[in-house]
Amino acid sequence: MFKKFAVALSVCWLLTLAGPGSAAAQDAKYHEAPALAELVKAGKLPPVEQRLPEQPLVVPVVEKIGEYGGVWRRAFLGPADANNYVRVVYDGLFRFSPDGAQIEPKLARSATSSPDFKVWTIELRKGSRWSDGAPFTADDIIFWYKDVITNRDLTPSLPTWMSNSDGSAAKVEKIDDTTVRFTYDRPATLFLSELANQDGPDQSFAMFLPAHYLKQFHPAHTKMEDLDRLAQAASFKSWTQLFTAKATPASNPERPTMAAWLPVSRISDPVFTIRRNPYYIGVDPAGNQLPYVDEVRFTYFADQQALNLAAIAGDFDMQARHIQMTNYPVLKEQEKNGKYRVLIWPTFGGSDAIVAINSTYTADPVLGRLLATKDFRVALSYAINRDEIRESAFLGLGEARQPVPAPGHPYFPGAEWATKYTEFNPDLANKMLDALGLTKRDADGTRLMENGKPLMVEINVVPAFGAWPDVGQLIARDWQAVGIKAVVQIRERALALTMRVANQLQTEVWNEDTTAFPFTGNSKLDMRNGPVQQLTVGPLYYKWLTTNGKEGVEPTEPLKRIMQLIDTARSVGQDGQVAAARELFQIWADNVYEIGTVGLTPMVQGVVVVNTKMHNVPTTLSNDWPLRTPGNARTEQFFFAK
Amino acid sequence: MTRYIVQRLLLLPFLLLVYSFVIFAIIHAPPGDFLTSYVANLASSGSTITAEQLNALRHEYGLDQPFVVQYLYWLRDLLHGNLGLSLEYQRPNADLIREQLGMTVALAAMAFVLTWLIAVPVGIYSATHQRSVLDHIFTVINYVGVATPNFMLALILMWLAFAYFGLSITGLFSPAYADAPWSMARVVDLLEHIWLPALVLGIGGTARLARIMRANLLDELNKPYVVTARAKGMREWRLVLRYPVRLALNPLISTIGWYLPQLFSGSLIVATVMNLPNIGPLLLRALVSQDMYLAGGILLIYSFLTIVGTLLSDIALAMMDPRIRMET
Repeated sequence: MFKKFAVALSVCWLLTLAGPGSAAAQDAKYHEAPALAELVKAGKLPPVEQRLPEQPLVVPVVEKIGEYGGVWRRAFLGPADANNYVRVVYDGLFRFSPDGAQIEPKLARSATSSPDFKVWTIELRKGSRWSDGAPFTADDIIFWYKDVITNRDLTPSLPTWMSNSDGSAAKVEKIDDTTVRFTYDRPATLFLSELANQDGPDQSFAMFLPAHYLKQFHPAHTKMEDLDRLAQAASFKSWTQLFTAKATPASNPERPTMAAWLPVSRISDPVFTIRRNPYYIGVDPAGNQLPYVDEVRFTYFADQQALNLAAIAGDFDMQARHIQMTNYPVLKEQEKNGKYRVLIWPTFGGSDAIVAINSTYTADPVLGRLLATKDFRVALSYAINRDEIRESAFLGLGEARQPVPAPGHPYFPGAEWATKYTEFNPDLANKMLDALGLTKRDADGTRLMENGKPLMVEINVVPAFGAWPDVGQLIARDWQAVGIKAVVQIRERALALTMRVANQLQTEVWNEDTTAFPFTGNSKLDMRNGPVQQLTVGPLYYKWLTTNGKEGVEPTEPLKRIMQLIDTARSVGQDGQVAAARELFQIWADNVYEIGTVGLTPMVQGVVVVNTKMHNVPTTLSNDWPLRTPGNARTEQFFFAK
Repeated sequence: MTRYIVQRLLLLPFLLLVYSFVIFAIIHAPPGDFLTSYVANLASSGSTITAEQLNALRHEYGLDQPFVVQYLYWLRDLLHGNLGLSLEYQRPNADLIREQLGMTVALAAMAFVLTWLIAVPVGIYSATHQRSVLDHIFTVINYVGVATPNFMLALILMWLAFAYFGLSITGLFSPAYADAPWSMARVVDLLEHIWLPALVLGIGGTARLARIMRANLLDELNKPYVVTARAKGMREWRLVLRYPVRLALNPLISTIGWYLPQLFSGSLIVATVMNLPNIGPLLLRALVSQDMYLAGGILLIYSFLTIVGTLLSDIALAMMDPRIRMET
């Protein structure tokens, strides 16, 4: 894996098509789905050669060349679950490979950087088209740059990846119809990793937008009074709300897209359907235009349990999202009925249940001082019996580990860090607690703090993933055994978030994912990202950083070093990034800001139910949000055998 | 009578105003707002948004305003007949509610009809054949029916159907018809699916209604006018149906108006468990995600129907039973 990664990140990233692509192009023999062929015959659609770009994306197949047809049945939990769609289509200029170690071109043909990483040139595929047949050109990226990402109404703050070192926007210019150049005043070494996630997730805009369609909803191209009228008719308060709704494919079937399937209903409908895009730019190695599957149908479920029951009954063709790991044994049991097979895609590193310790807790200063003490946190870690947690809460899957990347990933800091302080050693824990002066105990055996009060710690648990309340209880019992009275508080997640931001949580159980991406996105390890995005490692550090030291608590040296490393990684080449990441995770594990328990389990969307008739679904796949799993499995090549 | 009705109707806007405030206050009571629950939701799937984005959205949705200001904005929209925009769906609330309305009413009406069709005959039989074997059997079933929460019953039935027949009985349509346009085949598909949820929804009410019917009728059957009629040789069935049953129905009719809000609300938990596309899950979802204008809109309509339903009950009772007079 490391070698492949090195290739992907190497100097002068030149990404072009592999051999089979040019072979297929020379043949000039493309095939298409029967339904499209009929439309062509009826004169309603141009022939496939004219719909595909000159050099289409050639998508390798997992098992074999597929057959056209079929409806891929899935389930979703309503409009807030729009990322369900984002993950299936993974509609980006670039995308992560199945193993998550490479970035491959998708809609774009290539990206090249200058030797100092300050200038990036993106080349689009000549002749590629939007789903309505309009050409997809550099103008669609320029529209995003001029009218969306640098428009203060639509984008109140410029994302970090688009900014220069002084906070101004990087320059984006059109060179010709298929070439766009990004110019930074700093080395932008993480440019491609960022591009692989500019596919419009959550409430954001994709970095390429159908300008020919969206201009009618933008004041730079349409009169404001017309926009106001349109907005009012749709009950929107402002044109920005109107524009956002119109620019989001899942809420507007009229909006042309580049994805393999285009929405024909809305995410707010009971059934959200996306159908084959006749202009999709991808073909298989035999020249068949993709996707194979005609339609993906997302059925709305009001309740996750009902969704799981339907999954057990075999109502879905390929689904991992919302499938609860606790149902794994039942699914395995039902597998023998022959309707589906069950795959496991473990999380991509990190730890699937951690206890974040609040190092800036102030409501009880005596307890707060203990929580901020490294030896105290180490003792808490030694006191936990991880084998038991693994057996009873994780069905025996995964391994005991701290929240660091997976072995085999270049950022993996080494086994001694991944397993640091994870051995079950209550004697050592007791000794360390004694050494901290916590020697006096009350009648129940609970240690007394220096102010004579019993040492009580609250563990906040949000039952976002089924196993967490059990994990919390097991940890509480282990801590009790070394004289710390631990109380598990199960809270609704919005309440827990409010309390975290208000610095009211002492500890919290959550998972530490995205450890393979410490430098991009909104990393939880970077104290500058604040408690809304982080866990409760130290909400007051963020306050200190945002008030220039007037309020809050000054971050400790190790935490400052982590911020330094993140900044360094953004401007150095691949070797420097790997070195920075390893040091970062050594610091993270050594200081146990978060106590890792068990990781590499299929807890997060890792139990995959696949119809036995569905093929080309990989049996192993790196699974994480930045990879848009299952999008990184290249969903357009999934197919149904007849 | 007319005066009474007019008085009640005049009171309606004031009651609604009070309700609207109470509803808004209650929806506002949990900590956080729509965006906190949105961010928490994102976090559990691994993604995040920045603090700046969050603040911009909060400003855009007006969530940074004080409670009273938010309420007044809502009230202003309501007075213009506008239920506002759903924060989560980004679509007008009125559209969302309208889309669910047909199925909600159909399901509730079906449950209502089933309830009465079963409960009234069972009640009459049990009363006229008191302490017979069938009466005892009905009694046991009724007690179980009253005591079992219907969502529990739904879960048990769903599991049985799956375990023994391999069926998943969620939703009201087979996948093939879920978003198909209306056709004969789709109606048939709906009828194949709707009876079970209707039964589950109706069963608790059926049991309760049958018990009340039985008790009321037993009271009437021993009264002198029944004995007199019987002594004069009136045929037993004719006698029972014409006089005591009519009187025994009075308490039931006095609650019939309560079905009006139920027709609209969609049974929240059962509908969520069985994944029925009606207003119940929409309301639950709106409350959980703190989509306050959607939740507020639904609850306000619900309150309105409750008030109107109670009024209709009173009127129906007065018409059925000439002994009742409205005090003004």
